[in-house]
Amino acid sequence: MSVIEPFGGFGLGLRRTHYDDFLSAPDGPRVPVDFVEVISENYMIDGGRQMRILEEVREQFPVIIHGVSMSIGSAGGLDTDYLTKLKRLEQRIDPLWVSDHLCWTRNSAHNSHDLLPMPLTEEALSAVCSNIDRAQNALGRAMLFENPSSYLTFPEDELSEWEFLAEMTRRTGCYLLLDVNNIYVSAANHGFSAMDYLKGLPLDRVRQIHLAGHDPATPERDIIIDTHDRAVADGVWDLYATAIAMLPQPVATMIERDDHIPPLPELLSELDCARGIADAALVPA
Amino acid sequence: MSLAERQEAFLNAILDDAAPLPKGWGNSQAAGMAVYRGNYRHAVISALAETYERTALYLGEAGFRQASINQAIAHPPSGWTIDAAGEGFDGTCAKLFAKNPEVAELAWLEWSMLELATAPDTAPMSAQDFGAAAADFGDEEWGALRLTLQPRATARLVDHDLTALWQALGQEGAERPELQLPEPQTCLVWREGERPTFILVEADHAAAFAAMQSGATYTDMIGALIGEDAEPTPEVIQNAAMRAGAILGCWLQEGVVVGLT
Repeated sequence: MSVIEPFGGFGLGLRRTHYDDFLSAPDGPRVPVDFVEVISENYMIDGGRQMRILEEVREQFPVIIHGVSMSIGSAGGLDTDYLTKLKRLEQRIDPLWVSDHLCWTRNSAHNSHDLLPMPLTEEALSAVCSNIDRAQNALGRAMLFENPSSYLTFPEDELSEWEFLAEMTRRTGCYLLLDVNNIYVSAANHGFSAMDYLKGLPLDRVRQIHLAGHDPATPERDIIIDTHDRAVADGVWDLYATAIAMLPQPVATMIERDDHIPPLPELLSELDCARGIADAALVPA
Repeated sequence: MSLAERQEAFLNAILDDAAPLPKGWGNSQAAGMAVYRGNYRHAVISALAETYERTALYLGEAGFRQASINQAIAHPPSGWTIDAAGEGFDGTCAKLFAKNPEVAELAWLEWSMLELATAPDTAPMSAQDFGAAAADFGDEEWGALRLTLQPRATARLVDHDLTALWQALGQEGAERPELQLPEPQTCLVWREGERPTFILVEADHAAAFAAMQSGATYTDMIGALIGEDAEPTPEVIQNAAMRAGAILGCWLQEGVVVGLT
């Protein structure tokens, strides 16, 4: 499978509320990001305003296409129509890379439209790797897969999540999108060490980092919920600093906000925090 | 239990609160499942609210929530795009609000506009271009004429003044207009450039549009306008031909026609 060269930079998810910010001043100052990421499914369409805007943004910035519905963990395999439309988008946009999540979203009849957790078993690993092989062959390029946040583990689990991810990358040649918030959330929900998680990953396969906010546990609910609807929490920033210092290559860091999306300057300010933390983490001791 | 069986049981538990949790699950898995159930409901209801913004305004929060829950139960999403969760919502509204059929008509309109927003880009055929292309047509060529209509443009008969309703719902505090039309009209929905739009026109557009969209000839369209009259008089045929011309002129004016064959 193809090699994805490291790309160092700082970016944001392109959201509809910020379209005008990205397009308003073609001759003026550009939004200070190194790349943008878009949700693949929003642009796996035939035409219209949304597609025109993406093509205009693409003229200014490298674009990453990030999916939420490939359902790479589905026991029943991948959706051919989905792959065809994703391939068409990939050819139209020529993205930096294409990513999705280690999860499943649907069975043959219904789609949950949520990133559902995989049982961490050899059978699941085999199904995931077979699906990744098919997706990468269809796209003709290696993909990135993101570690999900999760709210339950399965009694039948045979591997840790990091062991599963490590073996998945080894068998398929895929790369990793490390969501630091998701590690933080899942570590708290399932009681594992975030450091063990990072140490157990093949860090040389990481090409991108997501940073996002979460809804903390409450007295009534001891599960942390990954909401992507608020600022990055202090503990996630700390974990980001640790991860950046451990990575052997530059990566693309992104603030990912999916709900309660604030004005662009607020997100750019958060991105500046990421820049500062990354700079400090990479200063030799 | 195989991976496929586990995923089937997991998804059933998300879709149906009463479904048993998979064998071997304890309290921690049950607590996690509650989060996934909440996420699913939130995703479907949010998607419907985004697609059916004006229907939601018309129904109010409680009414729209009731309709959304019914939709999620009657039509659990099956497609890979969350937008598809709204497919068939007009039918859900028709059943749920049988005494207010304008709700289903409004929902149909919003769905049609969503579909058009992402339709393939096409350039409308102007009346001048059409005139030039058809300048040398004789009766035979006119009779065999087929139109290419804008992709995903649609038309149907409605009994309510969707134009007035649409405008009123777009203005905060506007009074609810009189909705019942004196007689049915056709709601024609298409895209002007990148913007989905609609108008209410004479009722006979609906049959003509359905005929031409299914690939019928201009002669067939005139036949559709004549209707079920088995032995139409020359006057009836003449009137239908004149209506066909007027309807075609309207479609060209609005930019609904993109080509002819």
